[in-house]
Amino acid sequence: MTAAIPATSRTYDLSFARWVRENVKGGDKMNLCMQCGVCSGSCPIGSEMDNGPRKTFMMVRAGMKDEVLSSTTLWNCTSCYRCYVRCPRGIPVTSIIQGLAAVAAKEGYADKEKVSNYYFSKAFWWSARSFGKTDERLVTMKYFFSFGLVEGIKRALANLKIALGMVKAGRMHIGMPHSIRNKSQLKAIIAKAAELESKG
Amino acid sequence: MAQDGPQSQTIAVIGGGIAGVTAALEAAETGYDVILIEKEPALGGRVTRLNRYFPKFCHPTCGLEINYQRLRKNPRVKVLTMHEVTAVEGEKGAYVITARRLPRFVNEKCTACGECGKVCETEIDDPYNYGLGKVKAARLPHEHAFPMRYVIDAAVKGTDDEGRIAEACQYGAVDFSEEEEEVTLNAGAVIWATGWRPYDATRLETYHYADSPDIINNVEMERLANHDGPTGGKVVRPSDGEPAKKVALIQCAGSRDVNHLPYCSMICCLASLKHAAYVLEQYEDAEVHMYYIDIRAHDKMQTFYERIKVDPRIKFIKSKPAEIHPGADGRPVVKGERTIDRELYEESYDLVVLATGMEPSAKDISASGDVVKDEDGFVLAIESGDGGQVSCGVAAGPFDVALSTQSGTAAALKAIQAVGAR
Repeated sequence: MTAAIPATSRTYDLSFARWVRENVKGGDKMNLCMQCGVCSGSCPIGSEMDNGPRKTFMMVRAGMKDEVLSSTTLWNCTSCYRCYVRCPRGIPVTSIIQGLAAVAAKEGYADKEKVSNYYFSKAFWWSARSFGKTDERLVTMKYFFSFGLVEGIKRALANLKIALGMVKAGRMHIGMPHSIRNKSQLKAIIAKAAELESKG
Repeated sequence: MAQDGPQSQTIAVIGGGIAGVTAALEAAETGYDVILIEKEPALGGRVTRLNRYFPKFCHPTCGLEINYQRLRKNPRVKVLTMHEVTAVEGEKGAYVITARRLPRFVNEKCTACGECGKVCETEIDDPYNYGLGKVKAARLPHEHAFPMRYVIDAAVKGTDDEGRIAEACQYGAVDFSEEEEEVTLNAGAVIWATGWRPYDATRLETYHYADSPDIINNVEMERLANHDGPTGGKVVRPSDGEPAKKVALIQCAGSRDVNHLPYCSMICCLASLKHAAYVLEQYEDAEVHMYYIDIRAHDKMQTFYERIKVDPRIKFIKSKPAEIHPGADGRPVVKGERTIDRELYEESYDLVVLATGMEPSAKDISASGDVVKDEDGFVLAIESGDGGQVSCGVAAGPFDVALSTQSGTAAALKAIQAVGAR
């Protein structure tokens, strides 16, 4: 994903499909889609998506770049791979959705009002990067406060009962964050990955 | 032409379905000797199990009967039933066909009087009805069988039935000493008319075919609607025998799918439209939903599609269902996304019919020489070959009955050219 996304001033960007084909992982298989609907019908959280994968693919074909990249479909995908496994044309649906999400983030399409999962992904990654593990409290707090101080407090209070219940059930711990040993090795791994990515 | 020794001019036809019977007759009526090899106890293959033909709703028995008349009158065709071909080797003029001869336990003295069936107590899953009902182990394959001769299943061997059946036959037609054996047949040309089998619906894991008797496939639907089927022609729920009034017809169940059959079988949309007509004809208050990716009603079949479509009781839903499973009340539930308006649906039915595709039976037979099997198992003659082997019917590609008979005639013409004029 090195080429710059084509700039557009129109609602319909007819070069968008070609750009996706050439720059998004699995995008070259997207033209095999026959619009059967198995991906969207199989999606366990399909009801939480505005478009679902099948419609997203059609919108890419139609050149609806803005709508595709600001869609909740890209962020609500849980990567269960059911769509990919079931696709009768063998299209790597999950990879394409993830690839489009990466483009959306890079291009500044991730609107926090619409795609809050983008902030959850960021909070998750922050925890994984910092501790080598996810800390359920810190990830949640970081996620809540990415919407601002007031909204953060509001969300935290609204979820207090669940949090206390989880503590009681032993599903959330109190004390120091979980962390791995030898964090320096983790940092080295991440640095290497970043280096490889920048090389393309 | 016989420079390299004796050259056979006999034409062997593998498969006694509509394509094979047609090819055998056409070749024999031009004066050639033909061996027609069928693995089942009677001819007719898939066609004899159909209720009606699309698009005109005529009875398959009609055309088959005409062909059987032609067979009876033609001494040049030698019909071998219960011969399962395993391999074809050799070259034009000298083919060797290897087959397993399966025991029938009934010889040609049988008059189809039915006494053996009366005394037989053992029952087996009826292969004629795709296992939908039970049948006596000593039976006529079906009422329209050719040859009109009984067959006894090996299940009776060693039971009290064995003695009873042997005693009941007044014609000395029962012979329990028969055993499976390997036989070889010689021919100068070979016509592959090996046909198809329905794609195994249990492999469609998300459709739970095996988990509900009310999730059936399209060939079983033909049996349900047929007067000599397990329900006497009433389209009912196999689970409880209640009328199947709300029916879902699922297109491309395993077809056009790289995980199953990558190709379109061409007939399923039309067969399903026919199934819709069966249900609509039987119940005034029927409700039929046809789930499809796109309706493939090729050329003249478009008229047929349009004729069925006008009935307000049939609804077309553009969607390949993602899941089908037995619901809480036992009725099958169909789930997926309607692709026209992106609505997710979940709907219960009395009966769900999976339009499974045609899988070539030739997959089981070893081929060599001037034919090849393509990646899907269809048999194709090699352009540069000597022309001694040809294919027709669904052995050659996913055809409907009309195209199968046409290709049967074409294959007969090629075969008689291959063995040469006399």
